[in-house]
Amino acid sequence: MRFEKGRLSIACVCMVLGFMLAIQFRTTQDIKDNKPLQRVEVLTERIQKLESENQSLQDELNDIRNSSGEEHSQKMAQDIVLLSGRTAVEGPGIVITIDDSSQKSTAGEDMNLYLVHDEDLLKVINELRAAGAEAISINGQRLTATSEIRCAGPTVSVNNVRSAPPFEIRAIGSIHDLENAINMRGGVADTLKVWGINMTLQSSNNVWIPAYKNPISYKYATKSAKQEEGK
Amino acid sequence: MILAICGLALGGALGFLVPWSIPVAYSKLFSIALLASLDSVFGGLRAAGEGNFDDKIFISGFFSNALLAAFLVYVGDHLGIDLYYVALLALGFRIFNNLGRIRQYLLKKH
Repeated sequence: MRFEKGRLSIACVCMVLGFMLAIQFRTTQDIKDNKPLQRVEVLTERIQKLESENQSLQDELNDIRNSSGEEHSQKMAQDIVLLSGRTAVEGPGIVITIDDSSQKSTAGEDMNLYLVHDEDLLKVINELRAAGAEAISINGQRLTATSEIRCAGPTVSVNNVRSAPPFEIRAIGSIHDLENAINMRGGVADTLKVWGINMTLQSSNNVWIPAYKNPISYKYATKSAKQEEGK
Repeated sequence: MILAICGLALGGALGFLVPWSIPVAYSKLFSIALLASLDSVFGGLRAAGEGNFDDKIFISGFFSNALLAAFLVYVGDHLGIDLYYVALLALGFRIFNNLGRIRQYLLKKH
């Protein structure tokens, strides 16, 4: 072979090649030794989430320590009022309207499939709660911790008030999360669409939800000082 | 020839000694660049065998092929076209082709 001219430059090129080969070999070795990258990413995300959660709990703890007892109880009272539904609330959220199917049931088919049931409403409510809805109402009835959603003949009873379709469900929370929860593939909206049940979803920056109007009375449950069972 | 092998050994040793390694995100680009370099080297060997070896063509081809291959794969990644496999196939094909020509030349010579 004739390599008379430019031997040195060829040697240089060969050196570069050898260098690249060695680096690549080492990199491949490193990748094999490491834990799968995806796993690392998942764990990193989890750590970051936990850290931020930890931080917010720490902040809350500091707030409670710093604030006087009265301030703290005031804050707590505010939270309880919001949670119990004793006040009307407003904020960003969505309004869902659900009505019976406009399709006619064919002969021999159960026409119940084309109607809106309490179960359908429960499914929607469940999705909304899972997506972080802070306040929900059905046809003007605020849902509280003790509200029922129950079949009552051709109507649905909420807070012992009956209403017929169309049902209007209002929810306050992150518009993005709520919409996605309802519209996700294979989710509630998809299932109801199969039967032609009419469902419309509107998002609004100012959804108003009424207060829970019935009196609250606790006859059986009393406050307990025990923090854990059996102590 | 001896000088080339010495260079290869020296480069290899250097590569093992330096503490860097390629970040995972770029390992794909680097491997395709390496394959292009290998292709250039085999092409150079073939040219030497056929007696029309030119060191300028060889050296410029070595670097430009490696850079172009890496660049193509990079652009393909951003355009959603997986050019990695295309380059892999094309370069692999060329390497085997060159190898065949080198073998033919060696057999004819002896």
